[in-house]
Amino acid sequence: MGPNAKGARNYSQCDSMLIGDNAEANTFPYIQVDNNTAKVEHEASTSKIGEDQLFYFAQRGISEENAVSLLVSGFCKDVLNELPMEFASEADKLLSLKLEGAVG
Amino acid sequence: MNDTILSVKNLTANVDGTPILKGLNLEVKAGEVHAIMGRNGSGKSTFSKVLTGHPDYEITGGEILYKGESLLETEPEQRALAGIFLAFQYPLEIPGVSNLDFLRIAYNAKQKHLGLEELDNFDFEDLVNEKLDIVQMNPSFLDRSLNEGFSGGEKKRNEILQMAILEPTLSILDEIDSGLDIDALRIVSSGVNQLKTENNACIVITHYQRLLEYIEPDFVHVMYDGRIVMSGDKELAHELEAQGYDFLDEKVLATV
Repeated sequence: MGPNAKGARNYSQCDSMLIGDNAEANTFPYIQVDNNTAKVEHEASTSKIGEDQLFYFAQRGISEENAVSLLVSGFCKDVLNELPMEFASEADKLLSLKLEGAVG
Repeated sequence: MNDTILSVKNLTANVDGTPILKGLNLEVKAGEVHAIMGRNGSGKSTFSKVLTGHPDYEITGGEILYKGESLLETEPEQRALAGIFLAFQYPLEIPGVSNLDFLRIAYNAKQKHLGLEELDNFDFEDLVNEKLDIVQMNPSFLDRSLNEGFSGGEKKRNEILQMAILEPTLSILDEIDSGLDIDALRIVSSGVNQLKTENNACIVITHYQRLLEYIEPDFVHVMYDGRIVMSGDKELAHELEAQGYDFLDEKVLATV
């Protein structure tokens, strides 16, 4: 927040999703505020793809790779929906590529 | 034509090293509805998880034959594709994945497995709309995230909708009546009854005789300490209701 940011508000949310047993998430919020009427908030959460969720998909005949892809897509959906469509759909495709073979 | 769909012999299984199933025997033929009753902790839910291959459960002995072939080495996904369906006691919420998408992906996975035509979004939506009546569900549910914000009754009806779409050979309903009021119970039961055919079979796990007034069983089995200790027809359920599970303690002790 610069010195002229009078009455400005910021809310930053960082949600991480862990995939696999070795994943870790570290978030380092950097907050610099030069105007004392500004309000800055930060929130972070971490979730993990649960074994029970994967079992639900498996019990419906859906492969683990597809399940993870759907769960991750679903997790990111809110944010991706706010982005311009071309960017969002590219981000989604990139995600699927990254996930290919990452499970198991 | 009364084929044996499921044959379970002397099944023993652990969870976290603790024995839960201690020699379970059961045979289910096509066209049959089997009810399994028993106290909490008798192993009813464990049985449903073991049949469907949940990774937390370890089979330590015995045999499970599904359509004549052993299930023991088969992964949960393959068991599902082979036609085994579990209506979960506590269906999970999956944010961000719509009901419709989930149904379509599951349906197409099965179609692909059977070498049949997969449906695109439009054709599939038509198919689903035909089935919604079975559980009296509103099409607006389809666009919502899977089970998210659903009431208990809505979640259970959604399980039956999935059953209607996937047309399993063996359905296992794990306490489908838990958390349901009378109206929801009627709708769910009616759905299950509509899906019954001569070629499929259903295992209904419940504590309460009441469900069995709506989903009539051909056989009633009672589980106690990891085994089926009594079997009979639907009258057995009435007896249990009248006497409570305590009378089992005496009966089982008497035969030991």
